[in-house]
Amino acid sequence: MYGYFDLSEFSAEFDSVRIRIESDGFYRYIRESPDGKKEKIILTKDGRIIINPVEPVNLPKEITNFLLIRFKKPVFIEPKTSMEVNLTFPVEIGVFLAAKKRVDVIDIFSLQKPKYTLYGNPRMGIICRYWESDVYSDVPDVDGFREGVMRLRITNSSDEWIEVTNAVFDIFGMKIYYDTMVCSSASMNILSHKVAETFFLNQPLREGMKKALELYTSRKIPVMKKKFVMEWGI
Amino acid sequence: MIDILGQKVYGDVTVHDILFVVLMMTIATIVARIVTTNIRRALTDKMKRDQLELILKIVYYGIITIAFITVMPTLGLNLSGLLVAGGIAGIIIGFASQSVVSNLVSGIFLISEKPIKIGDQISVDGVAGYVEDIHILSTVVRTYDGLYVRIPNEKVFTSSITNYVANVARRFEYVVGIRYSDDAEKAIQIINRLIDEHPFALKNPEPQIFVNELGDNAVNIVVRIWGPSTEWYSIKTELLWKIKKELEENGIEIPFPQRTVWFANDLKLKNNEKD
Repeated sequence: MYGYFDLSEFSAEFDSVRIRIESDGFYRYIRESPDGKKEKIILTKDGRIIINPVEPVNLPKEITNFLLIRFKKPVFIEPKTSMEVNLTFPVEIGVFLAAKKRVDVIDIFSLQKPKYTLYGNPRMGIICRYWESDVYSDVPDVDGFREGVMRLRITNSSDEWIEVTNAVFDIFGMKIYYDTMVCSSASMNILSHKVAETFFLNQPLREGMKKALELYTSRKIPVMKKKFVMEWGI
Repeated sequence: MIDILGQKVYGDVTVHDILFVVLMMTIATIVARIVTTNIRRALTDKMKRDQLELILKIVYYGIITIAFITVMPTLGLNLSGLLVAGGIAGIIIGFASQSVVSNLVSGIFLISEKPIKIGDQISVDGVAGYVEDIHILSTVVRTYDGLYVRIPNEKVFTSSITNYVANVARRFEYVVGIRYSDDAEKAIQIINRLIDEHPFALKNPEPQIFVNELGDNAVNIVVRIWGPSTEWYSIKTELLWKIKKELEENGIEIPFPQRTVWFANDLKLKNNEKD
C-alpha cells in the first residue's frame, strides 16, 4: 500500500492500523490503531497523499538520528576483505501530503515497537534506535510494512580478524527504496577492533524500486556529515 | 540666523556630526534587529537553540560594532585612541565596579567553558529549572514553576552546578516492596518485561532488578533504569504506576507497614478484670 494516492476516497489498512480520508466540506485524515484514534483536518483543493517508509527514528518521538543494529550472532571477517551481508531494519511508515510541488509529513506510525539504547558511555555516547537482526546471506523474505532489508557491505581494512556485533548509522543520508519490499544499502569500513566507519549508499536492491521521500534532509541544514565513525566498539 | 547644525561641540565635531552618528547607530540597530529576526525565522527549526542564540548575538553585536567603527572618524576618534581610552576606562570601571567586572569575567568563562547551555535543565545555588539565556553579566533561569530567576554570573561560576542533561543518559531508581509471601522472582520478571516494553528505558546500559533487602515489612526489590537525559522523568513517572498495577494484577501486593505485637499476658485477663 505504499505509493501516491488521490485524497478522495483514500483508505488503507496496515495490520492493526487503519488510515482513511473522509470528506465533509474539508478533508479529514483519520488513523485508528489499538493505541487510539488520531484525526487531522486538511485544507487543500487538489492535494495528494503519499505513503512510504521513512527513516526509523521518529517514534514515539524524535530524540535521536542514529540507528544501532545489533547482530543476533556475531560476524567474524578476515583481514583485508570485503563481504556483503543482509540485515533487517525496522520500518516506520510516513504519510505525506503533496500539493503545488511541496511535500510535508502529516503522520508517522509503525507496526514495530520502538526501543532505544546507548552507544558509548553516558558522557560522550549517543542515544540510538535499537534493533536486533539476524545476518542473512540472501535477501530474507520479510513483511515490508514491518521490516526492511539492509544490504551491508562490510570491509575489513585492518590486518586482523575482526568480530562485528553491531552497526551504528547516522540516519542522515539513509536512502530507502520500496516496491513490494523495503530496502536500503550501507557500507561499513572496519579500521580496527574498535573503530569503523559507516555510511549509506544510494542504491536499491533491484531495478525499478521507487525511492522513498526522506525526512532527514528536508528538516535540517544539509551540511551534516554523512559518515559516522563508530569509536566505542563494533 | 544661527547655524545650530554647524556649531562646534568639541574640536572639529559639530552638532551635525553628532546627529549623523546617532542616526547611523539607530539605523545600524534597526538593521541588526531585522537581520537577527530573519536569521531566527530561517534557522529556528534547523539548529540547536543555544547555537542559534550565539549566532544571533554575534551577528547583532557585529553589525553594531562595525557601524560604530565606521562612524568613529566623524566624532574625531581613531581606533588606537579609542583603545587607549578604552584601556584607561576599563581600569577606572574595574576599580569602580568590581562586582560588575567579576560578573563579566565569570560570564566570559561560562561561555567559553560551557558547563551549561541554553535549554539545559540545571540546578545552581538552590535554583532549579531551564536555562533561558546566558548574558554577559547574568544567567536567566526559568524554574519548573515558571518563575524568572536572574542569577549573577559570578554566583553561577563559583557555585557547584548540576546539569541534568549534560550527559546523554542517566539512571534512576525505585525501591519496590513486596510481601514475604509473594514470589520475588516472578515480580522481577514482571518488572523486567514492563521495562523492556518501554521504548525509552534503554536496552544498554541494562536495567538492574534485584532483591536488595529483607526489610521490616517487605522484601525490597531495587529497580535501576537508564534513560535518555531528556526523557528520564517521563519514564520514571510512567513506569512506577505500571509496575504497581501489573504486580497487583498478578497477585503480588505492596504491603503496608505492619507490626506484630505479642502481649506478655493473655488479653482474657483484661476481660476478667472488667467482670
